[in-house]
Amino acid sequence: MRLPDLVHTTSFRLTLLSLALFAAAAAAFLFYIYIATAGEVTQRADEEVGREISSLETVYARAGLAGVNQALIERTIGERPYFYLLMDAAAKPISGNIAVTPVEPATSEARSSFRVSETDSDGAIRRRAAWGRQVRLPKGELLFVGVDIAEGQSYVLRIIRATWGAGVLVLILGLAAGLLVSRNVSRSLLGLKRAVAAVEAGDLHARAPVRGVGDEYDELASGMNAMLDRVERLMGGLRHAGDAIAHDLRSPLTRLRSRLEAALIEVDNGRADPTESLIQALEDTDGVLKTFNAVLAISRLQAAGQAPSPQLFDPAELCAGLAELYAPLCEDKGLAFSAEFSKGLKVRGNRDFAGQAMANLLDNAIKYTPPGGAVMLRVRRRSSGEVECSVTDTGPGVPLEDRARIVERFVRLENSRSQPGTGLGLSLVQAVAEAHGGRLDIDEGPGLVLNSASPGAGPGLRTALVFPEPTSAV
Amino acid sequence: MRILIMEDDVSAAEAIIKGLADAGHEATHVPDGEAGLEAARGGGFDVLVVDRMMPKVDGLTAVSSLRREGDSTPVLFLSALGEIDDRVTGLKAGGDDYLVKPFAFAELIARVEALCRRKDTGGQATLLKVGDLELDLIARTVRRAGVEIDLQPREFQLLEFLMRHAGRSVTRTMLLEKVWEYHFDPQTNVIDVHISRLRSKIDKGFDRPMLQTVRGAGYRLDA
Repeated sequence: MRLPDLVHTTSFRLTLLSLALFAAAAAAFLFYIYIATAGEVTQRADEEVGREISSLETVYARAGLAGVNQALIERTIGERPYFYLLMDAAAKPISGNIAVTPVEPATSEARSSFRVSETDSDGAIRRRAAWGRQVRLPKGELLFVGVDIAEGQSYVLRIIRATWGAGVLVLILGLAAGLLVSRNVSRSLLGLKRAVAAVEAGDLHARAPVRGVGDEYDELASGMNAMLDRVERLMGGLRHAGDAIAHDLRSPLTRLRSRLEAALIEVDNGRADPTESLIQALEDTDGVLKTFNAVLAISRLQAAGQAPSPQLFDPAELCAGLAELYAPLCEDKGLAFSAEFSKGLKVRGNRDFAGQAMANLLDNAIKYTPPGGAVMLRVRRRSSGEVECSVTDTGPGVPLEDRARIVERFVRLENSRSQPGTGLGLSLVQAVAEAHGGRLDIDEGPGLVLNSASPGAGPGLRTALVFPEPTSAV
Repeated sequence: MRILIMEDDVSAAEAIIKGLADAGHEATHVPDGEAGLEAARGGGFDVLVVDRMMPKVDGLTAVSSLRREGDSTPVLFLSALGEIDDRVTGLKAGGDDYLVKPFAFAELIARVEALCRRKDTGGQATLLKVGDLELDLIARTVRRAGVEIDLQPREFQLLEFLMRHAGRSVTRTMLLEKVWEYHFDPQTNVIDVHISRLRSKIDKGFDRPMLQTVRGAGYRLDA
């Protein structure tokens, strides 16, 4: 990543922000140090000056103005770093080592900071900071005593300069660290960004790299990958459904088209009444729509992964209604129909979908069981707590090796092709079962004992829609 | 009967209008919900056929507004959505019936006519009469030409529904929804068996069969 781009990253901005906060804190700290040390220097100077003044006042009390004058002369000869000025009441200098009092107005008693010029050994003039105090002596004369504080102040300045330097160094280091962190974060995000861009461009197979260090970037990447997996699976499901619909609708649509074409030719030739063809065509269309709706229902259930608007309902009551609906059909076909329901059971789910699933199972049983056989509808609680709604028949059954296959979409076994149906009945039951957190069980029926004489009878088939216990359900 | 069609698919609407006209109804078409609301507020319609997805104002909103304004004209929703929840939301919004696209024409006409009829017979008759067939809702008895016919409870409900829609086609799906209250589609025509049992009870021994099978549509009870 180039530097200008790096500057726009969030992590770099965060670094800048924290640096700014640090700088502000450091400035406040410096200011405090300055105030504290500068005050200290002045205070010390003032105390020193005070001591000098009181010693001179003692001299004054003992020896009068002349005594002070004498003392000043002695003291200015020595190498003491004091500045003295003795003045009369009108502030006219009498003696001392400075020419003018720095106190304003000149006749007041006050403290003052001032500067003195000094010629050093090279002949250059240097101005030095000083601090002084002026007092009025008992007979009205004015005495000013000052002290050089340049050394103390330059010490403070050195501290401040050093701190400033350290601050600048910290800023530069912080900036560098910020750039490094940003670059690191950007690198970690690069894989994610690439994957997102690839998916955006239409490549659903793209995945973000997981580096295996288990940090939050890895977590984000694997979360995103899981999401993409699900999206891809759903898309795959839809695509498969689309292919399946296209495949399965092609033949009825072709049949429909040729029927209509034939009818048109008949009408053109004035040969026959097309009504029969048209009615057939309508029936073909209904078949197509049925297939279409079933595929759509399956896809939606699978995509949603759960039953829409679930509620608690009594499966026995639902099945009793279905029993009443289907019993006459069984009777007409010469099948013995029986039903057995446990009372007081509850399952959570979508009643309509559950009804549709059970209707499909009953439909199958009635369709494939030859006359003279039996169909049984049963609702009971398993010892595991699951609730099972089962349909058992005495038909030909399904060989073990085919049982897994028959729930697939559009799979129809050889002996079933003569029967009407979309090839989606059990797929829908399976989808309903899964959407409810349950499953579709397919087992052998009661065996050949019953009705072994009737042709087409077999081991029978037992299909069951199994719901989980309602408490543990969605 | 006057029917208002709110449907943004113009060719679909034209087909509906033609079909309703052939069945002897007068249909008016509006292409969006806004125009539909205006037309419906004008009044004078016996049934509103409302597509759920329309420009400007969608079907659900339009019907809810009409219901809030106190308009109780029967509404048949048309929808390409068709999940169970969609039907429930449609009925909650004030729809009286719900039909999923694509639908058989016979289904649409039968349902529209059923809605018109509902409006006609708002009163609570206790005795239904069709030709020489009588159904007593209080005593739960059925007679044809004075001869009492013994019916199972479900057969009674089935006949009641057919009698309330006498002279009109009712589809298998309508019977399944209104008599059995199932909103799904059994794969074989289980309804046919129930109808043939009912038919054997009410038509057997009489010269003139009343319960007719309408090809491509369903059944019709004729006087």
